[in-house]
Amino acid sequence: MSLEALRGALGADAVQEHPEASLDGVPVPASVRPSDADALAEALRVLSQSDAAAIVRGAGSGLAFGNPPRRADVWLSTEHLSDVDVLDADEGVAHAQAGAPLAELRLRAASVGWDLPIEAPDEAATLGGALARAALGPRVHRFGPPRDHVLGLGVALASGERTRCGGRVVKNVTGYDLAKLHVGGCGTLGVIESAWLRLRPLPETSLLLSAWIDGADAGFRHAARIAELPAVRALALVDPHLAGRVDASGPESGQWLAVVELAGAEPEVKRAREGLGLAGAVEHGPELMARLRGVQCGPPPESGLRFRLVVQPARIVAAAVPLARAGAALLGYPGAGFLFAGFPLHAAADSNLVDSAWRAVREAARAGGGSALLESAPGWAKSAGDVFGEPCEATPLFRALKQQFDPRGTLNPGRFAGGL
Amino acid sequence: MSPDPQLTDALAAIVGRDACLWRPEELFVYECDGLTLHSATPAAVVLPRDAEEVSRVVKACRARGVPFVPRGAGTGLSGGAVALEGGVVIECSRMDAVLELCPEERWARVQPGVVNAHLSDVARPQQLYYAPDPSSQLACTIGGNVAENSGGPHTLKHGTTTNHVLALQLVLPDGDVMRLGSAAGWAPGYDLVGAVVGSEGTLGVVTEATVRLTPLPEAVETLLGIFPDVVTACRAVGAMIRGGLVPAALEIVDRRTIEAVEASVYAAGLPTDAGAVLIVELDGAREAVDQDVHRVKKLCAEDGAARVELARDEAERQRFWRARKGAFGAMGRLAPDLYVHDAVVPRTKLPEVIAEVCAIGDRHGLKLSNVFHAGDGNLHPNISFDRRDEDELARVVKAGEEILRTCVAAGGVITGEHGIGTEKQDYMGLLFDEADLDAMRRLRAAFDPDGVCNPGKIFPTTRFCRESDPKARGYERVPL
Ligand SMILES: Cc1cc2nc3c(=O)[nH]c(=O)nc-3n(C[C@H](O)[C@H](O)[C@H](O)COP(=O)(O)OP(=O)(O)OC[C@H]3O[C@@H](n4cnc5c(N)ncnc54)[C@H](O)[C@@H]3O)c2cc1C
Repeated sequence: MSLEALRGALGADAVQEHPEASLDGVPVPASVRPSDADALAEALRVLSQSDAAAIVRGAGSGLAFGNPPRRADVWLSTEHLSDVDVLDADEGVAHAQAGAPLAELRLRAASVGWDLPIEAPDEAATLGGALARAALGPRVHRFGPPRDHVLGLGVALASGERTRCGGRVVKNVTGYDLAKLHVGGCGTLGVIESAWLRLRPLPETSLLLSAWIDGADAGFRHAARIAELPAVRALALVDPHLAGRVDASGPESGQWLAVVELAGAEPEVKRAREGLGLAGAVEHGPELMARLRGVQCGPPPESGLRFRLVVQPARIVAAAVPLARAGAALLGYPGAGFLFAGFPLHAAADSNLVDSAWRAVREAARAGGGSALLESAPGWAKSAGDVFGEPCEATPLFRALKQQFDPRGTLNPGRFAGGL
Repeated sequence: MSPDPQLTDALAAIVGRDACLWRPEELFVYECDGLTLHSATPAAVVLPRDAEEVSRVVKACRARGVPFVPRGAGTGLSGGAVALEGGVVIECSRMDAVLELCPEERWARVQPGVVNAHLSDVARPQQLYYAPDPSSQLACTIGGNVAENSGGPHTLKHGTTTNHVLALQLVLPDGDVMRLGSAAGWAPGYDLVGAVVGSEGTLGVVTEATVRLTPLPEAVETLLGIFPDVVTACRAVGAMIRGGLVPAALEIVDRRTIEAVEASVYAAGLPTDAGAVLIVELDGAREAVDQDVHRVKKLCAEDGAARVELARDEAERQRFWRARKGAFGAMGRLAPDLYVHDAVVPRTKLPEVIAEVCAIGDRHGLKLSNVFHAGDGNLHPNISFDRRDEDELARVVKAGEEILRTCVAAGGVITGEHGIGTEKQDYMGLLFDEADLDAMRRLRAAFDPDGVCNPGKIFPTTRFCRESDPKARGYERVPL
């Protein structure tokens, strides 16, 4: 496309060219950085009118996720939309623009006594990016998925129309709950420009612990018991391949690392601590949580595949077994049924390895009664199949939605499930 | 209107003669839901037994260009289950089986006609329950709950229906049967479960729902804060939210409601001298609950409670809840008709909004009472009236409109749990502009391009205007 129209509409500064940039091997020759929500909408209007395709991005920390784009003309960045404009300490709600970094939002919320229940493995992630890809971290154990904390959204549609759904109040059934489509919609139905969030009270006290456990079986069994304690805010199991990166005190061979965060009222946390039954548990500072998130992020896409599985928690061992057998490096949030499976790629473009990894992952997902997707991989490895996994029954509805919201394929074309 | 015999024959061939109603005396009860002011007579009612029958019914309707409307127990309060355009009502009450209970994974797969409270009864021996608890839970169905994204007193801590639905089976408006979501809680692709929950029966007929079950809490305590008036009680609610308390429930019952309840079969010994009662329920780990009981007592005392009582035992606790949940029923004592309003404001705005709501009632000379989910900022101003008194009816309608406008002006919304239906469609413009509504229409069009599934709901009707003859649209409505 000609970038002149964009420069004309947004000003020359808002548009940069960089012929060498690409995503999954597809060139993305320019960037657009709208200065505010109106400019974002204007950019979309120009892009859709000129039949161009935009790859929407926040901090860029989650771009490895998605099928290779069918086409791409510009990055459309929300980084200048970074205001956190409401932190209502009396109400426990916040309003922020999509480009606000989660880490900042978390700090700001904490400064007025509230906890941000939304996480991403990389806390540089923006709010918009975290919501669009339904990101999560170790505290998914308590907080559940991000959809549960979004009260309302401002969304710019592909056509450039600015829309709102939901509101700022904590309970609302006024009209369709469109926010559900955009959270996890990977920016394929609209660009999230801002969000109202429900915060949670900061706990009176919290405690971060780790302990070594012998083997996967014992680890998952023990974790299932710990998961029952209401004081648990985060619960993770890290396999022997990865454990050293979370806790350098070093495992004995074959040992798994359990990480437990307790949070709540003082006496409740104390009792939970006593009830954990973790021999030799060691207390840690927040760096341990940061390292755990780092392990969830995994290595850069070029050096390996990372799958995310969601299974039914009581069946998580059944899912972990075929993965371990296939040589995957595993991180689990067992109480919430999440498993992250990493497969290193040694030789370039070894598609056999990709195929066998997918086979193990599918088997694991079936055994766990859930599903899997390929979260991060080099572009070539994505040709083995849809990164969202096997096509599901609802694909015709997905297609109809995409057709309704983005008929020209302006937003992240090709990147979503079913190549939408 | 006499039904098209070809249609009723086709329907009866699918569901059986006994499950197909079309005589006027049979249709009478299907003319309205809990919002009795809006009514319309359907062409026929069918009571299918499973998804396959629903699918065939839908296809039979489509073949004849007849719209259809899913219906649960008909306790809805926004006109959602009314067949506006003379269509076929698909009544789900015969689909009332709990198909599967998985205590290890804490979910249940149920048919849509399962009554809300029944599901908890079935789960309780496993130390589990179904958390969303609308006050109508002894009658309303899971299908209706899914369609309305129903809440209840315990929504504050445990979330509304949308936080508890894992997967759905849906008969689409073209008759195809589709599974959405997964018992694991996440499935690849757009979150269509999230989109269907709260869509008021306009995106298809839910024929199965897999819902999350919640472990019974280790400890539960229920307190009654006795306040001089409802505004003071609202201030105490604000203090609790500000203080970071998340009670399981935080409900206000005002004096007029207490009087009605105490004179009814739901009498629980609520103090009739109180201006308002704040019911605070705390659940969770024993230590956390004990600690919060102290905090609640302290905050209530600081914020003007005359006294705070702790339910002495489970029987007393149950009595409090029967009184709270029976409040709407008890209101029947005050007047022949009851208009139950539903709106939400930020909790910080409750004191001023509730004062204004009461003032609106007074200005219009109406009997207005309040019993509501204060912790969520979810108001239920209830107006007792007699519809035969046309002047009073007009004042009820006017007051309702003023209440909604007051709530929106305070940063709130026009419904927190009862839905838009036909009741509030012409107020959607208070919150959403054309582009917002158009985005909603796009979702509708993806599921139901021809608009045959529960038509005429949610969206403002361009065809409708205050002066038009409501009968011309085939139904009676009060122009709000
Ligand atoms: C006394 C009283 C107290 C109430 N208290 C509360 C409360 O505390 N919280 C609350 O949220 N609500 C409350 N309500 C409102 C009402 O009970 C809820 O909206 C309830 O969910 C409706 O369920 P139902 O089975 O009666 O559905 P119906 O009234 O029959 O239908 C409601 C809507 O659901 C759709 N529907 C029904 N079944 C299906 C299906 N299988 N598939 C698709 N769509 C379907 C209908 O088309 C309609 O739009 C109360 C109502 C009364 C009368």
